[in-house]
Amino acid sequence: MTEEQLRALLLADSDTTAVRVVALTVALALFFVVFDAVRRRRLSESLTPIWLTCAFAVLVLAVDLKLLEAMTHLIGAWTPSSTVFFFALLFLLAISLSYGIVLTRLGRQVTRLAQEIAMLRARIRDDEE
Amino acid sequence: MPRHLIIIPAWNEARSIASVVANCRASAPDFDVLVIDDGSSDGTAAIAAGAGAAVLSHPFNIRYGAALQTGYLYALRNGYSLAVQLDADGQHDPADVVRLAAPILRGEADLVVGSRFHAASTYHMPRLRRIGSAWFRFLVRVLSGVKLGDPTSGLQALHRDVLELYSSDEFPLDYPDADVLVLAARSGVRITEVPVQMRAEIGSASMHSGIRVLYYVYKMTLCVIVNSVRPVDKRIRTAESRREAA
Repeated sequence: MTEEQLRALLLADSDTTAVRVVALTVALALFFVVFDAVRRRRLSESLTPIWLTCAFAVLVLAVDLKLLEAMTHLIGAWTPSSTVFFFALLFLLAISLSYGIVLTRLGRQVTRLAQEIAMLRARIRDDEE
Repeated sequence: MPRHLIIIPAWNEARSIASVVANCRASAPDFDVLVIDDGSSDGTAAIAAGAGAAVLSHPFNIRYGAALQTGYLYALRNGYSLAVQLDADGQHDPADVVRLAAPILRGEADLVVGSRFHAASTYHMPRLRRIGSAWFRFLVRVLSGVKLGDPTSGLQALHRDVLELYSSDEFPLDYPDADVLVLAARSGVRITEVPVQMRAEIGSASMHSGIRVLYYVYKMTLCVIVNSVRPVDKRIRTAESRREAA
C-alpha cells in the first residue's frame, strides 16, 4: 500500500455515523451551555460570539464531514482527527490570549480603584479629624 | 511657595518605617512626607502616622510600582511641584533628598537618579546584582541613549511633569526600574544622576532576592526593549512640549 493510498484510507474511514452523532451532540450541548450561562447571567453576552462560533463550526463539520476531509487535505494533515485537534488547539491558544488581555485590563482597573480608595480614605479621615 | 513631597512606599516595614520618616523630617524639613501603606498587616500605617507622615493605605497589597504611582497621583492632586521617592527599608539615606532635588529646582533636569556607583560609595552590591545592573546600564544606554551609572536605583527625584508621565497606564505596576527610565527618556524627560550613599536594608529583605531575581531580570529586559519601540503618547510628552512652549 502506498503512502497516498494509506492517507486516502484514513480519510475515508472517518465518515461514520458515530462520529456524526458525537459531533452533533457536542455542538448542541455547547449551544445549550452557552445560552444557559447567559440566561443565568454567568456569562456576559459580549463573550458569547467566540463560543457560539465554535459550536456552529462543530455543527457544520458534523453535518458535512467532507468539509473536514477537505480541510485535512488543505493543511496537509493525515487524519480528520488531527485537523480537529489542530484547530481546537489554535482556538484554545486564541481564547487564552484574549483572556490574558482582559485580565491585564481588569488588573489595571482594580489597581486604580485601590489607589483611589486609599486617597478617599485619607480624605475622609482628614475631614473627620 | 512650591511644595515638595517625599514618597515612601511601604509593605510590612514596621521595623524601619518610624526611623525612615523621622530621618526624612529631620533631613528635609521643607518636604512633606507621605507613606503609602501597601496592604501591610504589621501596623506600618499606624507607626508611620505616629512618626508624623501623611499615610495612604491600600485596601490590599497591589505591589511596589502601584504604591509609588499612588504617591504620584497624590502629589499631582495636591499641587506638589516635585517629589522624591525613597524606600521604607532604610536602604536610602534621607540626607540625600535635598541634594537629589537640587538639579530639578535649578531647572537642569526633570528626573534625578541617586547613584550607588561612584568612588566614595560604601555600598556593597553582590556580584550577581552588579552584573545585572551592568546589563541594564548597557540596555538603557543602547536603547535610549541615556548614560546612567545606576539605572536600577529606586532613589529618585521627579519633576511634576514626570509625575504626570508616571501617573499614566504606561507606568509598570510591579517593578518600575530601568524600563521607565527608557520611557521617560523617549518622552523628552531630562535625566541626570547624583552620587548618593546607600545602606544595607534594616527592615525586610529585598524584593529582588531569591528566585524572583530571575523573573525580575527577564521582565525588566523585556520591558526595556518594549519601551524602546513603543509609540510615545503625545499627550504625555509634557517635559519636552513645555520646554518648547517656554
